[in-house]
Formats: sequence, C-alpha cells, structure tokens
Amino acid sequence: MKIRVLLGLTAALMVIALYMVFIFVPSDAETGVIQRIFYFHVPLAWIAFLAFFVVFGCSIMYLWKRGRKWDILASSSAEVGLVFTTLFLLTGSIWARPVWGVWWTWDSRLTSSLILWIIYLAYFIIRSYISEEGRRARFAAIVGIMGFIDIPIIAMAITLWRTQHPGPVIFEGGLVTEMIWTLIVAIIAFTALYILLFSYRVLVKQDEHELNALKALRR
Amino acid sequence: MIVFAILVIVIFNFAFSGSQQTMVSLTPGMLWVTFAFAGVLSLNRAFIQEKEDNCLEGLMVCPVSRETIYLGKMLGSLFFMLLVEVVVLPVFALLFNVNVISLPLIIITILATLGFVTIGTLFSALAVNTKAREMVLPILFFPIVSPVIISAVSASGRVLGGESWGDIYSWLGIIAAFDIIFLVVAYLVFSVVIDE
Amino acid sequence: MDNLGYLFAAYTVIWVGLFTYILVLAQKQRQLRRDIDWLKEMLKKADQLP
Repeated sequence: MKIRVLLGLTAALMVIALYMVFIFVPSDAETGVIQRIFYFHVPLAWIAFLAFFVVFGCSIMYLWKRGRKWDILASSSAEVGLVFTTLFLLTGSIWARPVWGVWWTWDSRLTSSLILWIIYLAYFIIRSYISEEGRRARFAAIVGIMGFIDIPIIAMAITLWRTQHPGPVIFEGGLVTEMIWTLIVAIIAFTALYILLFSYRVLVKQDEHELNALKALRR
Repeated sequence: MIVFAILVIVIFNFAFSGSQQTMVSLTPGMLWVTFAFAGVLSLNRAFIQEKEDNCLEGLMVCPVSRETIYLGKMLGSLFFMLLVEVVVLPVFALLFNVNVISLPLIIITILATLGFVTIGTLFSALAVNTKAREMVLPILFFPIVSPVIISAVSASGRVLGGESWGDIYSWLGIIAAFDIIFLVVAYLVFSVVIDE
Repeated sequence: MDNLGYLFAAYTVIWVGLFTYILVLAQKQRQLRRDIDWLKEMLKKADQLP
C-alpha cells in the first residue's frame, strides 16, 4: 500500500509542477514558449542519471553480497532509467526542432546522452542473451559498473570535442527566480515519479520470482 | 586480420574520394574505424577458441590467478593489434599519400589500442559465455570505448593538421585516464566473468 | 505563442511514454497475480503446498 501513497504523492507533485511550468513561470525572453520543455527535460535527465547511479551501486552490492535482491534493484532501476533517458532524448529532439531547425544535432549533451542510452540498452541486451540467473546478474552487474564509470570519461571527451567544433547551445541566458523554483519543484516531482516506478517495478519482479518458484515446486 | 584491415582501407578509398585536402581530413576517421573494427574482430577470437576447446577450464586449473589470465590475454591481444597497426599505418600512408608515421600519432595509436584491448579482453570473455557470443562484443565494446575513439580521431586530426604536442595533451590525457581506470577495473572484475 | 505545437508534442511524448510504461507494467502485474493465485490453488489441491 506504500505504492498507493507514493502514487498520490507523485500525482500531487506533478500537478503542482505542471501548474508552475504552464502558468506560474514567465516565458523565456529569447526562445519563447518552447523553452518550457526545459522544466521537464532537465529533471528527466538528472533523474535518469540518478537511476544509473543506483544501478552502479546495486551492481557493486550484487557482486559483493550476491543477494538476488540486488540484481532486482539494479535491473529495475536500469529499466526506469532507460525509460527516462528515452524521454529525455525525445524531448530534447522536439525542443531542438523549432529552436535549431533540426531534429538532431551532435551537441555535447545530446551525444553523451545517446551513448548513455546505448550503454543501458546494451545492459538489457546482454541480460536477454543469458538464461542462467546467476550469470545474468553477474554479467549485467559488470556492464552496469563499467558503463557508469565510463560516463564522466565520455562526457569529458565529447565536451572537449565539442569545444573544438562548437555546435549550437540550447539554452543561454540566466535563470529568473521563478524559473529556479519551477525547476526545483519539477525535479522533486520527477524524483517521486522515479521512486514510484522503481518500487512498482521491483514489486513486479518479485512477483515474477514468486511465480517461478511456484512453477519449480510443481515439478 | 592485416588483410582485413587493408581491405577496409581499400573500400574506404571507393567510399570516399576527393582532393588531397579532403583525404587528409578524412584520414583520422578512416584510420580509427579500420582499427576499431579490426580490433573487435580480433578480440572476439581471444576467447572463442578457448571456450570451444574447453581450454578455459584448463587455464583455470593452472596455478595462476584469474587476473593473470586476464593480463596474459590482454597483452596477447595488444601485441597482435599493434602488429596489425605497424603494417597498416605505412600501407595507409602509401595508398593515401598522407604522412601517418609520426611520433605523436604512434603514441596516440599505442594508447588507444591499449584502451581497446583493456575493455575488449574483458568483454570478449563475457561475450563468449552468453548465447549470442560474437554479436555481444560489438554491442558492449563500441559505446564503452567511444571516448577513446573520439579522442584518437580528434588527436590524430590535430597531428595531421600540423599541430604539435601541446594541442593533443588533453586528448592523450583522456585516453590515458581511460586506460588506467579500466585496466584496474577489468583486472579486478575479470574473475567474475570467468568463474562459473 | 509560436512553437506551442512543439511544446504540446513534447509534453504529450512524456505523458504517453510514462503511461504506456505504467500500463504495460500493470498488465504484467495483473497477469502474474492471476498465474500465482491459480498455481497456488492447484498446488493446494495437490497437497504440495501447506
């Protein structure tokens, strides 16, 4: 029933965030209304990153303690993280279209995010290719750990590459206080959403395991 | 492997043709795509034979630590890839009229190759233990190794453009950091992949 | 108020994406619960479950 509480809390926070994004905050002077995507786009990205940090932590814990629950936590967080990253990429693309005129561009943030997305997609592809549970958890943990460690290096390389071939910058100009507050509220709302989805996914995975255990009993 | 690399270069010649100026600017990309793909192919082979002939179990029974197996395999792949590069670079210089034989470029190549084999050896051992085997390695390898490729291509471009050491320090730094960090991580984590 | 269409598109993408994910999960959950309960009944009948 904790899920119900989380659901209610998340919904409430989201409504507040939506109000702030659409009614409370003033439009950006330069790019106009479209800039409001920022308030959902950025939290999606940060929480995705948080999700992958959780994958990193749980993967290490799994390799250390070898408890199945760590694998459940890691893979659930990776899944939610992948969803958030996908949404972050899509909204970034939709934001880019009117502002730059193109659906995609190889700017540092979009490029790093794309690679991040691919790494975590690889996490799931690997999992799908291993049928034995223990090995799947171990190998996935390795990918989760190495992927996360790689992120700062990827960011550095791409940023350095981009400073030598500068591309478009998506958001110039300072942030007015209303904007900062709106962003903060949005981040809190999306954190709640992450926790909600994550907990729910973990619950479903536990049910999957229960079912498998029962099936095993049958034989 | 050397033949494969040369074939790739020849295909590149058909894919891209242009003035000498264009060729020089395309060289870093072509060079590193060639090395990356040849690398994946050779790294895939690192463990396939072991797995098929059950040599891996034999190796594990030996009184050497898992980590030593990793180092051994890694150095073997490193040596092999460097050999390929030693042949490919002059051939490239010949075919494209670009001077790719210079000390900075050689340093870049060595460092980047080290990065490739560090990651590649670990993931090759991992891939061989999955259902899809050879297909798994590229999926894991390329995204993780992307900063090395980006850095190698950029640095090579600068070198060919006549820049001196000062400019490529940051790129070399990134590749070197990658090498050290992942050498340590792969070394520590290898036994997880090999043990049942 | 130009580009409002894009803003709308972006938010739609987010909400549709999230809802699809939640619905798929919920469906999986329901099916799982059904299977678990059914199996439990079966095993109880066969006396394999306390």
